[in-house]
Amino acid sequence: MTADVSVEGVQPLIEVRGLKKHFPILKGVFSRPAGTVYAVDGVSFHINPGETLGLVGESGCGKSTVGRTLLKLLEPTAGQIIVRGEDITGHNQGQMLPYRRQMQMIYQDPYASLNPRMSAGEIVGEPIVIHRAVTADERHDRVAALFERVGLRPELMHHYPHEFSGGQRQRIGIARALALSPELVVGDEPVSALDVSIQAQIINLLMDLQDELKLSYLFVAHDLAVVELLSHRVAVMYLGRIVELTDKSSLFEMPLHPYTEALLSAVPIPKYSARSRKRVILKGDVPSPINPPTGCHFHTRCLYATARCQAEAPQLREVVPGHLAACHLHDGGVKFPLEKPAAGA
Amino acid sequence: MTADETAAAPGPAILEIDDLRTHFFTQTGVIRAVDGVSYTVRAGETLGVVGESGCGKSVTALSVLRLVASPPGRIVSGAIRFGGTNLLDLSESEMEGIRGNEISMIFQEPMTSLNPLMTVGRQIAEAIVLHRGLSPRAAMDKTVEMLRRVSIPEPERRLHAYPHQLSGGMRQRVMIAMALSCNPKVLIADEPTTALDVTIQAQILELIRELQDTFGTAIVLITHDMGVVAENADRVVVMYAGRKVEEASAKVLFEAPGHPYTRGLLGSIPKLDVAARLDARRNRLNEIKGMVPSLHNLPEGCTFAPRCEFATDQCRAAYPPLVQHRPGHAIACWHADRLLTGAT
Repeated sequence: MTADVSVEGVQPLIEVRGLKKHFPILKGVFSRPAGTVYAVDGVSFHINPGETLGLVGESGCGKSTVGRTLLKLLEPTAGQIIVRGEDITGHNQGQMLPYRRQMQMIYQDPYASLNPRMSAGEIVGEPIVIHRAVTADERHDRVAALFERVGLRPELMHHYPHEFSGGQRQRIGIARALALSPELVVGDEPVSALDVSIQAQIINLLMDLQDELKLSYLFVAHDLAVVELLSHRVAVMYLGRIVELTDKSSLFEMPLHPYTEALLSAVPIPKYSARSRKRVILKGDVPSPINPPTGCHFHTRCLYATARCQAEAPQLREVVPGHLAACHLHDGGVKFPLEKPAAGA
Repeated sequence: MTADETAAAPGPAILEIDDLRTHFFTQTGVIRAVDGVSYTVRAGETLGVVGESGCGKSVTALSVLRLVASPPGRIVSGAIRFGGTNLLDLSESEMEGIRGNEISMIFQEPMTSLNPLMTVGRQIAEAIVLHRGLSPRAAMDKTVEMLRRVSIPEPERRLHAYPHQLSGGMRQRVMIAMALSCNPKVLIADEPTTALDVTIQAQILELIRELQDTFGTAIVLITHDMGVVAENADRVVVMYAGRKVEEASAKVLFEAPGHPYTRGLLGSIPKLDVAARLDARRNRLNEIKGMVPSLHNLPEGCTFAPRCEFATDQCRAAYPPLVQHRPGHAIACWHADRLLTGAT
């Protein structure tokens, strides 16, 4: 069953249903299975053409794994990935080729994601070579145009990655992702390694490119302020599951999941007046995805948890039209602001 | 502590950095990482030091504890006065009596600053034995008390844990316990929460505030995160390319910043902002053009001029002096008067 809400009959560019990615933990010389990391444990969402879906959560919540599995850089353990109505989950490498052109990725670390032995021009042109998109003559012009588009001087094509600053490298990574005119770009924390003033430049560039090229983004990040700025809709993940999914204004104004509420409240706001606000401070650490808590994964840190939360995992469901949350608190009707149910309720 | 409105009940100055210059002498030339920085830390306050990578905020702090690797680094000139003595005049053994005892430091990545081969209990107790002269047994008791203070559950058991057995947040708590175990007058926290998730960051910042209330420690909070500064600092120093470009109370800095760089920084960060949310269109951020100049090759005149929208020939010719525009509000900009009175 898809738990996501499709809007006004638009065919989603991409849709995932019940996506799971589990990693076995192997021990010893004979690689005996010794456990499982439940990195992604049943997530469903879609992304419409031209839209940005923000995917937020803390380290280890599985957000990056979702991004990678979506592009089939990792094979999903279960679930379906549907591109423009076609199920690509079982596609082999060859069958995936045309889809790879349409779906590209930008990585977090601008230092580790560029081959140091290739010039910037070769890096950006490589996808064009692999997919034989244009002839060799046209390739140079194409790469030069991409350089200009992302704000790099085309003369820099012959320089090597170490000659660029972090922000410039990230521009190279973006140019490479755009080389095949994709429809979907997955950004895995693309601005979190950058200094603030450079981060703003890259965020603006990503927004401009989306407007101009009608790109769809899956924007994976931990910084809620950045996600708010870039996204149309936002999914919040906790320990492998989506706990809340809605358009960004609903999420930031009316968080319906206790984890979202705490996350929003924990983000430091760069305004002096912000220091007087009331804050929700969670106790404890994020539990391990190897051995997640029973029932609702969040119950160990939740301020509103009841005995039921320990036993029964809440389904992600539409609590308010267009606003999905996975929390038992709303079973008797929407509760906002959130409050702990009276004893015995 | 959320000291409100008037952070202007200042305690006495306990740490004064005076015209500090720390340079690195490399094969490719001299890097002026810290180039004439002065600031004062007052008893019990939190001083925020902000700036982007390479602005010299960490090197300044390392210079205070004389932890700059030498060679290639060297404190070329200046003074660091702590309780009437210039730390730069002390011998290495005298410095050891200050470090971790009078002035402590916590770092961004607790995994690399803890000894992986020693249990956390022994690491903390070691400092207590060294500085306080307690017996090993008494030091262990004190260690348990400190671990409890920083809200580590089951401190008697955690004593025997190795750093890799703890989560990032727990390791940072251990670092804080160690740093505060000798009740220092000044705690230098260099990006203490940068490596942590936001919900854990909130816990650690709250812990630091509580401990500050309890122990009255002055804190130098070094960070690139303007949000962390806005919510925690009483006063703020903004650094750019090895110099202090602005200093003000947190209220003034965030509500009426003077230096174009400070304004640019504040404009370039996305804020969880209700006003922006009402506008269905996404707002572009105000970017600061260009990038931080290489310290190898700083421009003539004001180092920010090449990126500054207000720059004039005067800016490109000479570095502006740091001028007090109002009590407690110092700005190094030729056009600060115009900017402060003009459009906000």
